[in-house]
Amino acid sequence: MAGQQPLPNTQAPIDVYGGDEISALVLDAGYCHTRAGFAGEDVPKSVLPSFYGSLRTSNTDSTTTTYRDIFGDECLYPRSDFEVKNYMSESESVVEDWDAATKLWEHMLIKRLQPDRETSPAKNGLNDAAADGEGDVAMEDVENQEKPLAESPLLMTEAPWNTGKAREKAIEIAMENWGCPAFWMSRTPVCAAFAAGKASALVIDVGGANTSVTAIHDGMVLKRSIQKSQVGGIWLSQQIRNMWDNNDPKVNVVPYFMIENKTAVDAGAPAQAKLRKFPFEVTPSYRAYEEERLLTEFKESVVEVWRGPGRYLNPGNEELVKSQPGRVFEMPDGANQMWREQRYRVSEGMWDENAALPNADGTKAQTIPEMIKACLSAVDVDLRPNLLGNVVVTGGTSLLNGFNDRLNNELMAMHPGMKIKLHAAGLTTERRFGAWIGGSILASLGTFHQMWISRKEYEENGAGIVEKRCK
Amino acid sequence: MASHDVLDVLNLPADGASSRPTKKQKTTAPRPNLKGLAREVQSLGGDNPIAIVPEISTFKKRRFGSRKPAARWELSPFRNSARNDQTLQLRHWKKETEDQSRATSQPQSDSQTPGDNAMEGVKKTDAVDDSGFAKFNVQVDIPQYSEDQYNSNLINDDWTKDETDYLFSLARDFDLRWPLIWDRYDYTPQLPDHIKEEKDADGTDPDTAMIPAPQSRTMEDLKKRYYEVAAKMMAVQKPVQYMTQAEFSLHETMANFNPTTEIQRKKFAQDALTRSIDEAREEEQLLIEVRRIVARQQKLNQDRQDLYRRLDFPPTEQDITSFKSSSGLSTLLQNLASVDRSKKRKSILDVNGTNTPSSAQPSAHPTSTPISESRRESIAASAGGHRDSIGGGERPERPSKKGAQQPQQQERKKLTEQEEKIYGVSHHDRLPSGPTFRYERINKILTTKSNAQHQRITNTLAELDIPGRLTMPTRSVVEEMEKLLASITILLDLRKVNDKLDGEIRVEQAKNAERKKATAATTSASAGTENLTHGDGQPESAAAQTDKAGPVANGRGSDSTSTNRKKNDGADSTSQPTITNGEKKGLAEGKEAESSNQSKTDNHEDRNTRPESSGGHKRSASVLSGVSDKSSKRLKK
Repeated sequence: MAGQQPLPNTQAPIDVYGGDEISALVLDAGYCHTRAGFAGEDVPKSVLPSFYGSLRTSNTDSTTTTYRDIFGDECLYPRSDFEVKNYMSESESVVEDWDAATKLWEHMLIKRLQPDRETSPAKNGLNDAAADGEGDVAMEDVENQEKPLAESPLLMTEAPWNTGKAREKAIEIAMENWGCPAFWMSRTPVCAAFAAGKASALVIDVGGANTSVTAIHDGMVLKRSIQKSQVGGIWLSQQIRNMWDNNDPKVNVVPYFMIENKTAVDAGAPAQAKLRKFPFEVTPSYRAYEEERLLTEFKESVVEVWRGPGRYLNPGNEELVKSQPGRVFEMPDGANQMWREQRYRVSEGMWDENAALPNADGTKAQTIPEMIKACLSAVDVDLRPNLLGNVVVTGGTSLLNGFNDRLNNELMAMHPGMKIKLHAAGLTTERRFGAWIGGSILASLGTFHQMWISRKEYEENGAGIVEKRCK
Repeated sequence: MASHDVLDVLNLPADGASSRPTKKQKTTAPRPNLKGLAREVQSLGGDNPIAIVPEISTFKKRRFGSRKPAARWELSPFRNSARNDQTLQLRHWKKETEDQSRATSQPQSDSQTPGDNAMEGVKKTDAVDDSGFAKFNVQVDIPQYSEDQYNSNLINDDWTKDETDYLFSLARDFDLRWPLIWDRYDYTPQLPDHIKEEKDADGTDPDTAMIPAPQSRTMEDLKKRYYEVAAKMMAVQKPVQYMTQAEFSLHETMANFNPTTEIQRKKFAQDALTRSIDEAREEEQLLIEVRRIVARQQKLNQDRQDLYRRLDFPPTEQDITSFKSSSGLSTLLQNLASVDRSKKRKSILDVNGTNTPSSAQPSAHPTSTPISESRRESIAASAGGHRDSIGGGERPERPSKKGAQQPQQQERKKLTEQEEKIYGVSHHDRLPSGPTFRYERINKILTTKSNAQHQRITNTLAELDIPGRLTMPTRSVVEEMEKLLASITILLDLRKVNDKLDGEIRVEQAKNAERKKATAATTSASAGTENLTHGDGQPESAAAQTDKAGPVANGRGSDSTSTNRKKNDGADSTSQPTITNGEKKGLAEGKEAESSNQSKTDNHEDRNTRPESSGGHKRSASVLSGVSDKSSKRLKK
């Protein structure tokens, strides 16, 4: 905390250092990961996948079945009757399953971030055995002790297209379930812009399930400018699957957990691996989750974005790539292959609609240049030059090799003669947790104290206050 | 264990050396300071002190000596006065002050629950301090209006009160950030209550057709309405005539907001944003070019101003009388020199230095006019209209030159004619721009004439011993020269007329003489009948020849003039008969024979060269020069 601060708070040069920490918590929920941590820190303390396990247990008389939710990466291993679910909606990146969301958030904010309490309440839901220790709690503190977050204001992020209902639900949980003294809801692109040190910016957030392009003016989202597309990590995974299916030889997607042992084989040769046998049936959802991990690895190590100039499908480019060294990727079962032009091809659909491999459902996703165009055209002309000079790139999928070069080239081609400047954090963590970091900065600012929705205000106005205040 | 123990163990004699070190120990006496292990180590050394043992180590001691208890920090609650809701108490870590540390001796149980119980809250209000960040909360001043004010001033066909209220609430919410206001502007007209009721009553809503559809407003529409209302409310609160300058200009800006120009501007901006690469590059190049031109223009202006400054003189307001003595003059010169040095006007200083008072040399003798004067005049000519505008009379001159006589600083005194002459002041109606040479003026006079005339004039000048190009073309000399040239031209014209008249007179005289001869011949009657046919013509031509020969004999020269040539032509036609017949007849007199011979030679020449050729011109010119020589001689007389 501020233990090292040499001056007392009254004398501290607040115009230089605008922070005044009040031990606030920051929660940033995304489709792939949910991040939580203390405001003022540069990295979230707790990052969990938004996927959670649901373990079915049947009673002895097998008349009723109960589900137990398990959170955390380390708990997601093959078990019987084990489904992997996600509490977020894939198409919207907003909370779908509020019960699971509450539990997961509680798990992160309380179990992972708070010290163990002597009297963990039954409401925690994490401890199966009902806590019975009420004896050593003073009576006047009972009401407060029941609320686990009574000391920490909470700042949550949300997608800019989040509905009013969902926002009200969020403040309800924070106030009623956790007893937060203050609450604030901030939009992801705004936070990402703050993390880059900008109050006005064009935020290009290439996340797991969605890609959004949003214009931010003076720390506020311009609602008409919001553009959302499926072009994200999951979409890219689909493209890769498509490519693997049509590859010769066809690539079998066998996730790591299924391999017992393997022997090295030559490139292109069929795999020689012994698969593990499970005494139970592995659910498809778990397998899909594990396959996604493999695909992520492939994305990180092989897939590359054609840097331009021009599109990848322009004549000559493919030949050029073919003449250059490719990359070898070894599947978990030992099969390996050199990838050359295909690794550019899968990502080209983000930029060029015609280059996208056909999806299973046949829909086409809006490309990033189109989104930028649509976003800018919905913004006042006077703001456009400034926005183009402050383009903030964030989101984990933007870490693809060559992404920024291509984005820069596309922007230059779209707006010749304009000053275009990209702000993309160099550190991987800063790019992946951009929105969380922005929230952390915001919640630790001294000038932000006046913004919080206090508990009293919530009680007086009801949940609707979040719509009124967090614009 | 001490040194003697060591010596004992090693079986070394100890007593011999033991006495000396004890003495030394008293002098140095570092031992009492040593403590603990250091003392033990030191004692091991015995009489040979061990060097590595630190003898003085105040480091640790000082550190322990100045140690204060660690600063205490406390988690203290505070509130932010910028908040509407004052109940929120947040807590931050803060260094404890004296009174607070005393207060913390009390139990801290209440710090867990910010403001939950009333008594504690009351007790705490004194202790809770305000956030230092509250002062940064500034709000935009949005005009307010009441219902009456709206109805009396602000009614607009396009805007309902409801929508205006909505606009103003947005303006307040977003602190007048127009892009945000426009972005969030989503006004839906409220259904009037009775319609709502009806709707509830019968389920169908026929009246909703009357509800105006929500208009889509542009940002300019919103701004226009806002500024309109704001300006009117400003005027309502404070009539225009009482406003301060700043208020009035704000009022004017808001009242005169023009949405169409704003829309136009945005259209231009839009066009600028959607340029192609080539257009962008071209524009960039043009911008660079413009910048270069502007820079050059600035440099030129600067140079020009520099030049003007150089042409100006250092102004003085003092009385000139002090400079009338030679000593005063020299001090003035020194002053000027120093001014010159500071302004780096070296060249002019040089001119002044070389031409120290040549004083009142009248310019009556043009050849003796100092060079400086002519140079000065050339400056005056080059300065052109600039000087004229100041007023030619007191053209600022280098004061040192004729400082003693020059009354220039007796402000704007009119110079007398004589003075003007002395100082070389001249007035011009119109001066050509730029410097000109005077001899060019002379040349111009000559070159405008035809070649023949030019030649004649040059000959005349040569006869007068005046060079065609003046060596010293001062103003007066040039003027004289111009006069001279004018009179020469007049003279030449007169000569020409004179010659013509002379010729005619001679022709008439010759006719007359012929007639007389004819009458005499008929009386003598020696003429043959066969010759009668051309007897009429011949005598006349012969007479003409004699007439012509007469003047030639008189010293005019034998060659033909233009007038003479005519006669020659006449003689041509007659000379052949004279040759064929003249000897036969022998009637011509001696004079006539001579002339006919001459005309014969003439004919020979004429056969070679046509009269109009240049050779003829040359000859005629020489004749004329001979004539003009004479005339000029006559002129001299």
